[in-house]
Amino acid sequence: MPFVSEIQRQSDFNHFPSTTPIVIDNGASSFRIGWAGESDPRVIFRNIVQRPRHKATGETVTIVGDHDPSLMKYFDCTRSGPRSAFDGNVVYQFENMEYVLDFGFDRLGATGPEIDHPILITECVCNPVQSRSKMAELLFETYGVPSIAYGVDAAFSYMYNQQLGICDKDGLAICPGFTATHVIPFIDGEPLYKGCCRTNIGGYHVTDSLKQLLSLKYPHHMTQFTWEKVEDLKMEHCYIASDYASEAQLFQKGTKEVEEKTRCWQLPWIPPPTEEPPSEEEIARKAAIKEKQGQRLREMAEAKRSSRINELENEVRGLEFLLHQLVQVSEVDIPSFLSETGYVSKQEIESALTKTTQSLRKAKGERKDDQAETEDHTDATNEKFHLINVPDDMLSPEQIKEKRRQLFLKTTSEGRQRAKQKRYEEELERERRSQLDEERRMENPELYLEELYVKYKELSEKVEQRKRIKTNGGHTNGNNLSGVGRGERLNAAQRERMRLLTTAAFDRGKGEDTFGARDEDWQLYKLMSKDNNDDDDEGPDEDEAELVRLSSRLQDIDPTFVLKSDVQPTEVPKFRPLTKEDFQIVMGVERFRCPEILFHPNWIGVDQTGLDEMTGVSLRRLPSYSDDIAERLTNSVLITGGSCLFPGMRERLEAGIRMIRPCGSPIRVVRALDPVLDAWRGASVYAAASQFTTQTFSRMDYYEKGEDWLRRYQLRYSL
Amino acid sequence: MEPEVIEAELVLPTHLNFKRIQMYEKYPKGQSRGRHWKHLKQILQAENYHNYSSDEPNYVNIESPPSMHPCKKICDITGYEAPYYDPRTTLRYANADIFKVIRSLPNEYVQRYLAMRNAAVVLR
Repeated sequence: MPFVSEIQRQSDFNHFPSTTPIVIDNGASSFRIGWAGESDPRVIFRNIVQRPRHKATGETVTIVGDHDPSLMKYFDCTRSGPRSAFDGNVVYQFENMEYVLDFGFDRLGATGPEIDHPILITECVCNPVQSRSKMAELLFETYGVPSIAYGVDAAFSYMYNQQLGICDKDGLAICPGFTATHVIPFIDGEPLYKGCCRTNIGGYHVTDSLKQLLSLKYPHHMTQFTWEKVEDLKMEHCYIASDYASEAQLFQKGTKEVEEKTRCWQLPWIPPPTEEPPSEEEIARKAAIKEKQGQRLREMAEAKRSSRINELENEVRGLEFLLHQLVQVSEVDIPSFLSETGYVSKQEIESALTKTTQSLRKAKGERKDDQAETEDHTDATNEKFHLINVPDDMLSPEQIKEKRRQLFLKTTSEGRQRAKQKRYEEELERERRSQLDEERRMENPELYLEELYVKYKELSEKVEQRKRIKTNGGHTNGNNLSGVGRGERLNAAQRERMRLLTTAAFDRGKGEDTFGARDEDWQLYKLMSKDNNDDDDEGPDEDEAELVRLSSRLQDIDPTFVLKSDVQPTEVPKFRPLTKEDFQIVMGVERFRCPEILFHPNWIGVDQTGLDEMTGVSLRRLPSYSDDIAERLTNSVLITGGSCLFPGMRERLEAGIRMIRPCGSPIRVVRALDPVLDAWRGASVYAAASQFTTQTFSRMDYYEKGEDWLRRYQLRYSL
Repeated sequence: MEPEVIEAELVLPTHLNFKRIQMYEKYPKGQSRGRHWKHLKQILQAENYHNYSSDEPNYVNIESPPSMHPCKKICDITGYEAPYYDPRTTLRYANADIFKVIRSLPNEYVQRYLAMRNAAVVLR
């Protein structure tokens, strides 16, 4: 049943004589107002106030109740959500209450200077006197109401259903409302508040928990779960399981039945446009564009190169010209001649010239001829290192210095030579081996491939093993590989170090401290001083090189070969296009889990008894408890209030009450004719009765009789 | 105001004929009023229920007591019966699959699940 909201303005306000009372059911969820004696309230709306800003004009306006959401786009609601006048089931914010009453009277069609009608308004059971007096004050002072009566909604509902013969004069009213649930015993048609009990849980909590659960289950669709939407979902789909445990087990097993019980809400979803593979033309076009871009880049590089060559050539020419000129200048004049050019000496110019010519050659792409240079070297060696073979005692100190330098230079150049030689030999060796390999392959390709694979596998395992040992320190218990503790983050050496540090920190101080007595003790510091992570040993390196060689060889020969390391990254989940199923909100267990909190308030952290147990509590609280009375009461249990609309509520309550009552006692649980509107209807009937005026109090009464009287004020329901 | 907003009479008029004291007179604009109402807790405290006989029903003593039955443990995620309890997150769970889910949940979600049964860690 969706939420009903009737806010049409009534036009017949002035047709009613001033003796006709106005009846208000001021519930925490909805506000209902109408005329006494009528069968239905005239105006119904959600008991909330919003004070958003009008976007165009910027003024703060007041909006009461629920309205067409499409009109709310003109208002900026970001800074003020819907507010209620209720804290629990007690009215505490009378400013909001006033807005709600304004709206209610306005829509009822009030126009005169004041509301000149008696008012019957509902309140919660045992309403605090402060709330009562504030409400009375508001109605008397602001609206000019002549007289007021307060009553309890559940009592009106019980009375109404009793008049219709649905329940007896003695009985229990169980009223799960919006913010609280009451159980009220009735004897002779009068509520006995002494035996009443209240649990602070109601429809609000059901909706809230459903909203939380759904938004936790579907974090991507969180914005879809607005309060109104979830409230609708609750009213449409939630039910009360006859036995929660067995129902949940059913879902856990996932039988066929469950599929029928699972509801699915399809969110608006548009299938993404299927991407067609690009056509031949497209590919060709793209390739052409790419080619063009490549061409342009090449051209640019070429232009840059030629301009650089040009520049360098100019420089070389300039330098040559300078040298040429220098020849004609006498020694003495050189400094003055050169002062303009920025060079200091002839040598400098010469070195600059060689440098530029070298870079010119490089720019032109001519490789320096290594061979020629080495030959150059061998020729020059003798004259370059002319001092080496001369004994020390024949040289001056300066020459000795020079000799040492030459010695050093010579050894390094020889070293270089040797390394080159070695490289060359290795190259030869490798070539020879691959030649051999190739020959063997030619003899028997299959066998060769197999051998290669075996070798590859062995090696890769070996390398893998080594890596593992390095990180796990040889403790190969399987847990280590999957777990993510802090131990796994360190490698073996680091862990050893941590162990040393901790033992050093905690073992000391026990008994006698003998540390340092032996020399070995001090070795500890060496071990602790650094992370011993020099991953040294050459053997494995060779293995790895061999592995690389093998895998490259395999890749050459066998096109189906896949590198091991290449396999792993493919396991990373690929981007998956969203499907219709991603936009489905599936409600399974939630359908009965959320209403179940009415029976188990503990589930949402409210430490109070649930609906069924409350009956027992209520009976025990009765001052005149006897088995006879208890039997009479349980024989006429009326459930009323918005939250008893869940299917299965009546059956479940009956079973629950049967559990706490002695075997064989009569139990009858009935649902109110209309659990939502019966409270207002009962109140309307009550206010239309002629004795109603005896139950009201006027403004004079309110100010004369004082607070204590108001505290004890209680309506007599059975007139 | 847009015509359709006026048409729907969405906005409560500031002046209503049937009122003796208008809203703008009671709460003049531009005046900071502070908080002029009490929370339910404060209201109940001001009621001084302890001065009255406990036989008289009042808002506080009609509350129902804690349940006599042990609380049924249900899985925080799925709502199934939960024989297990995860000491790390303090969530209850029904089976190994859900345990895996729990362990992969970010802490924020864990706290939100816990907050649903009022067991979240609240830092003040």
